Amino acid sequence: MPQTIERDGALSFTVTAGSGDRPVLLVHGFGSNYAMNWEAPGWPWALRAAADRIIGVDVRGHGASAKPHDPASYAPEALVGDLVAVLDAVDAAQVDVVGYSMGARLTWELAVRHPERVRRAVLGGFGPRPLTEDDPDAFVAAIAFAAQLPGNDIEALRACAKGQAAHPFDAAAGVPTAPLLFVAAEGDGLADGVEDLAAGGAGGAGSEVVRLPGRDHRTAVSAQAFKRAAVEFLSG
Amino acid sequence: MTELALRPDPEERREGPAAPPTPVSMQQAINLALARALEEDDTTLVFGEDVGPLGGVFRVTDGLQRRFGDHRVFDTPLAESAIVGVAVGLAMNGWRPVPELQFDGFAYPAVDQIVNQMARMHYRTRGAAPMPITLRLPSFGGIQAPEHHGESLEALFAHVPGLKVVVPADPGEAYRLLLQSVRADDPVVFMEPKARYWDRAPIGATEPADPIGTARVVRPGRHATLIAWGSMVHRCLQVAELAAEDGVHLEVLDLRWLKPIDTATLAESVRRTRRAVVVHEAPLTAGLGGEVAALVGEHAFSSLAAPVERVAGYDVPYPAGPLERQYLPSVDRILFAVQRTLEFQRA
Amino acid sequence: MNQPNTGPQQPSNTTTFTLPDLGEGLVEATVLTWLVAPGEQVVRNQPLVEVETTKSAVEIPSPHAGTVAALHAEEGAVLAVGADLVTFEVAGAPAAGIVGTVPVDDAKPQRRVRLRPPDEG
Repeated sequence: MPQTIERDGALSFTVTAGSGDRPVLLVHGFGSNYAMNWEAPGWPWALRAAADRIIGVDVRGHGASAKPHDPASYAPEALVGDLVAVLDAVDAAQVDVVGYSMGARLTWELAVRHPERVRRAVLGGFGPRPLTEDDPDAFVAAIAFAAQLPGNDIEALRACAKGQAAHPFDAAAGVPTAPLLFVAAEGDGLADGVEDLAAGGAGGAGSEVVRLPGRDHRTAVSAQAFKRAAVEFLSG
Repeated sequence: MTELALRPDPEERREGPAAPPTPVSMQQAINLALARALEEDDTTLVFGEDVGPLGGVFRVTDGLQRRFGDHRVFDTPLAESAIVGVAVGLAMNGWRPVPELQFDGFAYPAVDQIVNQMARMHYRTRGAAPMPITLRLPSFGGIQAPEHHGESLEALFAHVPGLKVVVPADPGEAYRLLLQSVRADDPVVFMEPKARYWDRAPIGATEPADPIGTARVVRPGRHATLIAWGSMVHRCLQVAELAAEDGVHLEVLDLRWLKPIDTATLAESVRRTRRAVVVHEAPLTAGLGGEVAALVGEHAFSSLAAPVERVAGYDVPYPAGPLERQYLPSVDRILFAVQRTLEFQRA
Repeated sequence: MNQPNTGPQQPSNTTTFTLPDLGEGLVEATVLTWLVAPGEQVVRNQPLVEVETTKSAVEIPSPHAGTVAALHAEEGAVLAVGADLVTFEVAGAPAAGIVGTVPVDDAKPQRRVRLRPPDEG
């Protein structure tokens, strides 16, 4: 059953039963939600070997969480604060994190700002190329696609995209110290440059990048190779 | 009621495949009988709530729509009166409908169509309007289902002139009795004992069916006759097994056709054993046990060593799951009744 | 008057699972990757197949425990909702219907009442 906490409006999350000795936090991509991004593609089942408790969040502006229309509500600092608040609410001192796309960026930010909360992290469908309004094709396409998905509030999504674009990703501003694994579909334009990011010292020297043949940004999430790589990495 | 007009069996013209040696559940037996009926006569139609893609809430119609098409096996709205009304109209126009009402308790909304149309169309038209409907009604209790899912309506339907009422007790009986009901040109209420749906037995499908309206002795005995139908046949066989340990040999009679009742077999058995205990799940008062006791009194009075005993449900609405065991006739309640007949002394 | 009944076909313990309604008004999906193969034993909720819809990629979990008897589509095929997906051979304890429970019979029912046979002399 989803639960909520109060964070400038309701913030919705789910926690599976389990001892909590090995919690994994799942952070979904732009325009999606926990159920669509992680449950439907079978991640709770896949992670059963690597996690005894799964914490799934609906990022602000998504799913069952509040959907403010003010871009400032979506600054990375606020969204990372939401993740920390959920971890506090479920008494998870330190977690493994799997983030996809926008969720991967938030995972990066969480690991940089709160290194003590992140043991290991898997960043999927993510690269250093900032998604900004200067890149209208990708930006507009992402919002247009997300707008078709059920339950989405297009004004909230536009605000979410603008709010984050106002603080573009900058690897030079700090890199996570937790070990990282990068996973992306072959030819996923949103993950361009991820090899450079991995080689550049993020997560310690020599983070691995797993590429998924025959998949794209949308279909990578359900890929067995993604799940296997994540389970193997998180079991390390 | 019209004379039974059984259609010629196509198997009299061609050799049938051998009976499967493997046991099948009563659900599968009914499924096989429906498939057979759909196969042998393309005017046969199966319809009801969730009988199509879902295959029925108990899997009884599983795969039939895929095999025979959605023009012959189809879902209806949740409207029992309409289900039976449609069946009546189809029957009058040459079809052979096998509608399902999903649960016993859902038959009440259809009682008007069943009583006022289905049961008396023959009578009203002097036999001109055929009414070969087999109304399948998953019935009785024993599966801890919620309210309206454990009712015993046999006395209600047996009381209505024009209806036949039948209850199978095991998979083979279910197969034969259902095919027989579908082939009959009269309306039949076919009550399936849900609690025995999962029983498995070889169905002996090539065995000939006994004539409509006949009972069967499922266990011979000499000290008393237990008379039952549906799930209570199974319960009475348990009782007979226990009684045998005490040296009491009980005959178990599966009445199965509750309209018409096989008075000859009933009376013959009781004349031999001199004692009768009738067992049913339905509440006692005005239950079919009263009818059975009256028939025994009329046809075997001089043989009786004791009054006919009735072991039945209580005169309360069918209880919620946890109370089922207290409501349904138990082994001990039946044994007590047997003992009363054995110990009866005339004043 | 007796009616001979003839044998039915071999009863089947197989059940075919069709492409479920994936919600959101989607009417079809593309098979991405099979996660099981014919002959394989599966447990309930084990992933069977990844499918792609116009909106997302999803894994379809098995509704049954049993053995995979047949897969009904090639990878890359587009399936309509309701099309056959997997046929299972299902064994083991019977499953209840949607309502109620399967009654469990005591091997030998408990009794408290003992009978005395009648005097047959």
